[in-house]
Amino acid sequence: MRKILKSGIVAATLSVAMGHSALADNIVMWVNSPLLAGPNAPLHQELKAFEAATGHTVEVQAVSHMEMERNLFVALSSGAGPDVMALDIAWVAGLADAGLLLDITEQTKPIAAEYQPGPFASGRYGQKQYALPLYTNNVALFVNDQMLEQAGIKKAPTTWAEFRDAAVAMTNKDKQTYGVSFGGSRMGAFQLYSYIWQNGGEIVDNQGKSRVSEPAAVEAVDFLAKLYTQNRAMPESVLTAGNWDEVHAPFIQERAGMVVTGDWALAAFAKGNPKLKFSVHPLPSGIQAATVIGGYDLAIKADTKFPKASFELIRWLTGPRSVELMRKYERLSATTAATTPEAVAALPKPLQPFMSQAATGRARPVIASWTQIHSDVFGNVWDSVIRGKPAKDAMSEADIAIKRLLEKK
Amino acid sequence: MDARTEAPLRLKRTWSSVFETGFGARIYPYFLVFPAVVIVLGVVVYPVISGILWSFYDVTLRKLVSGDVAFVGLRNFQRVFEDPAFLQASYNTLIWVVLNVIAQLGLGLALALLLHRAIPGIGFFRSGILVPWVVPSVVAVLTWRWMYDPSVGIVNELLVRLGVIDAYHPWLGDTATSLYAVTVESIWKGTPFVMLLLLAALQLVPRSILEAASMDGAPGWRKLWYVILPQIRVSFAIAAVLTFILTVNNFNAIWLMTEGGPLNSSEILFTLAYKYGFQRFDLGMASAVATMLFIGLVIATTLYLKLMQAREGD
Repeated sequence: MRKILKSGIVAATLSVAMGHSALADNIVMWVNSPLLAGPNAPLHQELKAFEAATGHTVEVQAVSHMEMERNLFVALSSGAGPDVMALDIAWVAGLADAGLLLDITEQTKPIAAEYQPGPFASGRYGQKQYALPLYTNNVALFVNDQMLEQAGIKKAPTTWAEFRDAAVAMTNKDKQTYGVSFGGSRMGAFQLYSYIWQNGGEIVDNQGKSRVSEPAAVEAVDFLAKLYTQNRAMPESVLTAGNWDEVHAPFIQERAGMVVTGDWALAAFAKGNPKLKFSVHPLPSGIQAATVIGGYDLAIKADTKFPKASFELIRWLTGPRSVELMRKYERLSATTAATTPEAVAALPKPLQPFMSQAATGRARPVIASWTQIHSDVFGNVWDSVIRGKPAKDAMSEADIAIKRLLEKK
Repeated sequence: MDARTEAPLRLKRTWSSVFETGFGARIYPYFLVFPAVVIVLGVVVYPVISGILWSFYDVTLRKLVSGDVAFVGLRNFQRVFEDPAFLQASYNTLIWVVLNVIAQLGLGLALALLLHRAIPGIGFFRSGILVPWVVPSVVAVLTWRWMYDPSVGIVNELLVRLGVIDAYHPWLGDTATSLYAVTVESIWKGTPFVMLLLLAALQLVPRSILEAASMDGAPGWRKLWYVILPQIRVSFAIAAVLTFILTVNNFNAIWLMTEGGPLNSSEILFTLAYKYGFQRFDLGMASAVATMLFIGLVIATTLYLKLMQAREGD
């Protein structure tokens, strides 16, 4: 009898194990490297919870932001690459247009209301949903409180005029201090989009038409360029700063009193200058408030062998649990649950301005050629205007270039 | 039975005996090199031919995925020539190569002559001068990038103190100076290699010839021009060709310092091909530029091989 019982238990165990393994899928996932910093990164714990709940296994690999887009294109085009990938919201259109992402429109229809509209829309291309937002961010104004006070200004700027006045007031040639640190080329381009929208301008409208040569957009670019060309309120690094470290450096060194950047700067400032006294404020507004939104989405490879399990994974990571997960990273969840007053109040203080201005967030145009428009066209616009080219000429040339790219298929 | 009638001793035949005589012996060498030939065909010849073929097709990643790759003849070359960035990159490549080759050869020769002396501690200097060459190129480039920093860079500080400039200058951010600033780094990095080649050649010059020239009263520069340079001409030519090839292929310096900017002012053909291929994902245009570069390099390599043969002839 005991023998029969033993055999029964062994058989049952084996059948459960075999049955489990038959259902379990091994999902390969690529994420941007900051999410996997160290063995104790919160994502590891979250994936363990997912594995325990679903029986699937997840093989996660970190890829740096700078290499992610290129690696995804190359790997997915050759039929390799991950089943699930984290991708900058600006890359979704390009990858979807190339047929490399799985259409998840039907699965996401019932849950659309759970996400903030801007970040959710970043995963949509050509009326189809290809990604869900993992986290969102936007740019705000970081102010060195001491430099502002020394310049005789009582409060952080809230309008363009105040922003310019503060930048000029904090600029001191003898002390080699400047008002605002800005990036060069595509870094500067990313920073100026908010100003175009704030001035009532557009880059590419919903009908897919380029509108960069219109006066509102030209005026915004001119306003920012003159802070360097006329007021000399930006440090010379504006000519060369090609990454966030270089954009942040003058602010960290207390040579620039303000910088327009996102929540990713908080860790950099704490590490680079722990004694730095700064405050974070919503971006000073023009005709209207606006801030460019960024962040990462999760998407699934078009020809994945595990579409169901992969969707379960992106749903797990972007759903209600993302509020707590992203809080551990000091980042902003893209769910609507994260925007309630209680949820905002629970955020660390420096993060609150980002969430409070989230409603004014605007996504960059979701078009296939966006990466090229951003790097080649707008990067060149910014490089040209800070070297003295009239904004009107630069934006007219950009308009022609963008139209050519939009026509190209 | 005497010894002459005994059966001859024969080695036991093995499977490899088939290669010892007749047809087997003739194909044996080909059999040995076959694996190497297959590998070379796979990793060198195929990619080169494939790259050249792609330059005649409209290949983007999107079309590669859909399989909709069409033959377009010379259209990619036409598109490349229509791009103002290509003309700028071609001009920059010319400047970049000429400056690098001339400066590296000139400085390399000067250093080789300087270090070709029997003085105490010369080994230390010979080793020390090689440091730029052995430093990983990424480390070297990033170090120079900080040295050129428009706010805190040591280059600016040095030049201001020496009175060369009045105020700090954004060397990498100025369209007029970016290419030359990167060229300085490239010369710094590449010169020790040239010096090494020429120093080795100098050490093979017979001392008797130099002594004879000295006894005839030849001044230093005449000795250099009429005695030393002819003796090391083959090594000098090889150094020139190698420097040319390495400079054309020096992607790291430009990419890590300026990414070809600002406003394409330091763009060379190599970085342009990379941008076409891995930023725009237009592999047809990238292949067109790469094919043109390849033809240029084949000419240089052929020249290099001819020089090698000439040296063997000597």
